[in-house]
Amino acid sequence: MSGAAQADGAGTAAGRGGQAAITLADVRAAIGAEVIWCPDPAVPVAGVVTADLMSDVLVDARPGFVLITGLATVQAIRTAAIADLAAVVFARGKVVPSEVVDLAREMRVPAFASRRSLFEAAGLLYASLGIRAAEAPGRTA
Amino acid sequence: MTDAEFVHAYEIAGSDFTNAGRASTSIKETLKEMGLASALVRRVAIAAYEAEMNTVMYARRGTMTLHVTPADVTIDVRDEGPGIPDIPLAMQEGYSTATPEMRELGFGAGMGLPNIKRNADDLTITSDVGRGTILVMTVHVS
Repeated sequence: MSGAAQADGAGTAAGRGGQAAITLADVRAAIGAEVIWCPDPAVPVAGVVTADLMSDVLVDARPGFVLITGLATVQAIRTAAIADLAAVVFARGKVVPSEVVDLAREMRVPAFASRRSLFEAAGLLYASLGIRAAEAPGRTA
Repeated sequence: MTDAEFVHAYEIAGSDFTNAGRASTSIKETLKEMGLASALVRRVAIAAYEAEMNTVMYARRGTMTLHVTPADVTIDVRDEGPGIPDIPLAMQEGYSTATPEMRELGFGAGMGLPNIKRNADDLTITSDVGRGTILVMTVHVS
């Protein structure tokens, strides 16, 4: 884990009150991500979580969130499947190993790749899609 | 669901990060097939996954047993490992004994046990230092 200041932290965002639902296609377009595997770009997105530590994802993410992470391992896919997430975006231009791609297909977890940092990707989604910060549901401190 | 009880045990290999999470994924699929509510299934799956990752990270091996009745879903995890010397300390959010290697794999945030407690209705942990840990978590169906 290295790079942008936000890289080690987990942040969440959710909502776009009163407007059409945000989809995986919207997220992909906003951050210019490449498709690794995505059979249905019209899947709605409930929010965004950025993290490299998977326990933070399990605390902060709600069902339907997109995970943006620099962790290009099978555990990002498994975590997304366990937590009912909408998709995983592998950020920072990380090389996504073939076993990660295979597991995404096997577990039917849509996956994308982006050269942008977590900070840039989150900022673009905040600015262009109007996704705003939401109080993390699980944090007690 | 029927009135019958369902029991299934899964073996967990220590340090096997490639397969870490398979047992929890299987448990989640089993509970979904039983028709349990998705929010309940998600809570059980997250708690099981955290426990499975703890076993993979710290123990030599372990067994995770799923026990489903019409009233409860219980996960019993027993590992052969170093044990937990100070359980109240380990339950504190952010406390972690993870190595840099574990963190590079995306774990060791110090949220594992607190996250299990958050998602379970009941949680008991007993540990014998140098021998292993027994963790039993229950989520009520109704």
